[in-house]
Amino acid sequence: MSLPDRTLRGALALTVLVMSVALSLPPGRLLIEQSMVWHMAVQVPLLMAAGWLSMGAMSQAAAWRWTADWNRYGLTGLLAAQVIFAYWMLPSAIDRAVVSPLADALKVTTLLACGALLQNSVWRAPVVLQLFIVGSAVPMTVWLGVYFATADRRLCNAYTLASQTAAGVGIAVWGVAVATAWVVVVLRHATQRAPEVPPARSRVGVD
Amino acid sequence: MAKSLLPGPEPSVSETGLLKTFSASLLVLLFGLGGLLYATEGGQAYTTETLRRAAVDREAQPIPDLRLVDDAGRRSGLHALLAGDGRVRIVDFVYTRCQTVCTSLAAVSQRLQADILAQGLQRRVAMLSISFDPAADDAPALKAYADRLRMDRSVWQAMSLAEPTDRRRLLDAFGIMVVPAPLGEFEHNAALHVIDASGRLVRIVDADAPGEALAAALAVGR
Repeated sequence: MSLPDRTLRGALALTVLVMSVALSLPPGRLLIEQSMVWHMAVQVPLLMAAGWLSMGAMSQAAAWRWTADWNRYGLTGLLAAQVIFAYWMLPSAIDRAVVSPLADALKVTTLLACGALLQNSVWRAPVVLQLFIVGSAVPMTVWLGVYFATADRRLCNAYTLASQTAAGVGIAVWGVAVATAWVVVVLRHATQRAPEVPPARSRVGVD
Repeated sequence: MAKSLLPGPEPSVSETGLLKTFSASLLVLLFGLGGLLYATEGGQAYTTETLRRAAVDREAQPIPDLRLVDDAGRRSGLHALLAGDGRVRIVDFVYTRCQTVCTSLAAVSQRLQADILAQGLQRRVAMLSISFDPAADDAPALKAYADRLRMDRSVWQAMSLAEPTDRRRLLDAFGIMVVPAPLGEFEHNAALHVIDASGRLVRIVDADAPGEALAAALAVGR
């Protein structure tokens, strides 16, 4: 899961960042204006991934140390990320981002921040807190996806019903994928960790 | 270099060490939940459509004086039309080529027309179908549409925009979003809009609740 090469990680982060932001600028913007799938099932996850990868690629030890006291166990960061994510799952917020470039700029910056906050916070949390966050956010996301996929009336004024149905499936799949990835990481780490290793000192990229 | 990319929670912190984190988290929760409640009208409105209806319920919205044309090619301003007979209008938005949902909406409108006539309310309430596709919907297209739906012109009129450039103003004023769909169709938020004689939008109800629209219209006319 962690790429050995810092440069490679930086390049990956930059690529995903450019791709996700390009969807809010012409001509890429046409895609998210016309399709809820491109907007909610492609751009939203890409923006969060870009924030996550960028944060991971930065040498954060020094730059973020001052926040540590305010974000013990990643609690503050996880809550903030969840609020941001919940807001952009509102059909009215998505409509606004289609109509107003200002709202769209807000969407891009806050979702990048959401991904960055998650990356910065989630592994600081004890597994129980991680489980609590994943266990509340993922079912919410999957439920929302299923709701979008099965609703027989349009929830976003900006998109067709067919587009909403497909986007709902995409959102539900993302929810399941994130939960699966989290379980895999936690299990892999649990089986790899030697009993004596102090948790916070675990090194990156050497496994 | 203690990077925490992999699972590895922080070592335990004393309870006083958590004070800053708890206060920051509390602030995030307060502002976050406050923001979410604000954006959803207190958890009541999750879609643009419900927000739009709530805004109209709070305060009637003025509608600009759009220039319309009827199925005989006669032009009139919306405000003059409304003030002319002082009737409350139940307005819906259409494009006459529509083959999909419009068929069922048309049935609803026909029932509404029948109800108005049966109850003798045609001097207080009228219906108006406005096309948001002025390029295609000229007077002959409107006439064919009105005939197909068996509109009684004393109760129900079909009109189009006399100036295609008014289209944006029309859609913005009523909060309608029109999305191109396959096969040259459009999808749009369909609803019944109650407008009083002074050109104010006073109520928006579901397109399948004509009874509610009629009740709202009669409440305005009183």
